[in-house]
Amino acid sequence: MVNMICRCLLTVLLILPPAYAQNVIDLERRVSELEAKMRLVDPAFGRDSRASDLVARLEMLEKKLGEVLAAKKTEAQPSPAEATAASQPAQPPGQGLVPVSVSGDYQTSTGGETRLPVAGYMDFHLNKDSGDPFRPDFHRFVLLFGHSFSDRIKFWSELEVEHALVEGGEETGEVALEQAYLDFLIKPAFNIRAGMMLVPFGIVNERHEPPSFNGVERPFVETVIIPTTWRELGFGFTGDLGKGFRYRAYLTSSLDASRFNAEAGITEGRTAGFDSSFRNPAKMVRLEYAGMRRLTLGTSLYSGHAGFNTPGVNPRVTMAGFDGRYNYRRFDVRGLFANTWVSQAGELNRRLEQQFGVNPNVARQMRGYYLEPGVHVLPRRTRNDVILFTRYEKYNTQHRMPLGYLPLPQFNRSSWITGVTYKPNGDVAIKFDYVWNRNASQVVGAINGINLGIGWWF
Amino acid sequence: MRLFSIVLLCVGAVGQEPAARKPDRVISIVAERFTFSPSKIEVKQGELIEFVLTSDDTDHGFRIPGIGIDVAIPQSGKGEARVRFVAKEKGSYAFECSRPCGAGHNLMRGRIIVK
Repeated sequence: MVNMICRCLLTVLLILPPAYAQNVIDLERRVSELEAKMRLVDPAFGRDSRASDLVARLEMLEKKLGEVLAAKKTEAQPSPAEATAASQPAQPPGQGLVPVSVSGDYQTSTGGETRLPVAGYMDFHLNKDSGDPFRPDFHRFVLLFGHSFSDRIKFWSELEVEHALVEGGEETGEVALEQAYLDFLIKPAFNIRAGMMLVPFGIVNERHEPPSFNGVERPFVETVIIPTTWRELGFGFTGDLGKGFRYRAYLTSSLDASRFNAEAGITEGRTAGFDSSFRNPAKMVRLEYAGMRRLTLGTSLYSGHAGFNTPGVNPRVTMAGFDGRYNYRRFDVRGLFANTWVSQAGELNRRLEQQFGVNPNVARQMRGYYLEPGVHVLPRRTRNDVILFTRYEKYNTQHRMPLGYLPLPQFNRSSWITGVTYKPNGDVAIKFDYVWNRNASQVVGAINGINLGIGWWF
Repeated sequence: MRLFSIVLLCVGAVGQEPAARKPDRVISIVAERFTFSPSKIEVKQGELIEFVLTSDDTDHGFRIPGIGIDVAIPQSGKGEARVRFVAKEKGSYAFECSRPCGAGHNLMRGRIIVK
């Protein structure tokens, strides 16, 4: 109705000059019609007016039209043009910031998109090892739910289905609670977090949405040396220290040393919140610097005993890592170094051999690092993004052995991964890469592979 | 003739945008999982501030609790959002990401310090 009135009034206003030369009675009739239509929008319009001449009536219509257009603009916010302060909700008295306007591309960019009340990401892979056929795998289907109880108490969770199917007693997939924690926001530099939390170690463990990293599979170092996705039960403190420094310091459930082994290092020792122990909580801290545009540096330290399932042996696992990400113009680079120390590794091997009959050959030190440069080949102004990347990884889960144990050279590995990430949208990544794997063994050969994948975040 | 002049005024008034005062300061803020850069912004009392908000990755949100500002920041390469406000009173005011963006979303926050 408002639109119709506006259109009619505009039409009349535009044609008034020639109409002035026409019949004044006809003009008055049309103005009366407009007044009647305006009263449909505002029944009070003209009720108290006694204006009789056309000029006064037109001035009233003009004024009312201005009010209607302003109100309509406030309600709909249809364009990126500036909305006036009247578009903001009523302000509480005494507030310190007074909103004036909101403008830009924020409406046009999201207009027409579907926004769901949950977030999530999905990851579909097609993997092929040399000599094998392609294997399709709907690797991850993850839904994230958050809720704000108030501005100071917030909940966040992540529920994951891996490999599409979960059957009782069979290793076909898993349903896992990856995160479920509460944040109590106290001060910028000091907040409390408690629940099932991601361990803040490395790059990918906390930011593993498929479009946020190159390569179909996550880096080997962040799988074998850093057991991504690594989550533990616990609580801790987080905060922004200013000048770009942030920290997270947690006490968490400990790793289970009874599941350490030569090939995967400590990875299988993640308890993931199930049958975990808090008798000797692990301590961990991460300090991040993001004070310079496009540069993020981080260092993480983890330390905790892991012997709650190995009576008589209580090895301490200590991990240290450094990581960084930087991009300059159309170039990206990211890298990471991580080292793991396992105390009492010899005693642990002997204990596990007694328990299970097999020597797991756990090393006393494990080490890994990678470097990944990438280039965005399309100009920034294009809608799509194509990233060519190469990653070199070195990861050795038998880096230093306890006295009396020899390293298994097939687990001293390196990989070259090169490929392309195509993003038709910033939240959708279509990936291809080729993986050259090498190891130090003269007997056990490494297998190369091709990976195709599509992942998306919403 | 008088009526004709009014008609011209009416037509002109319909096409007119409200005059925008030039902000005292324009500050660029970049959002990226899970941080705003800069995250601590100091302004002077009484200034008209304009934030130019862009993202380096996915869509984010920009919300200042309590004063009714909550806008979407379009994903990288899809433009920007601009927010203007007057720093009326001294104090520290939090802003936060209002669109779920991943594991660190809850702590994707910053502060405006009005001096």
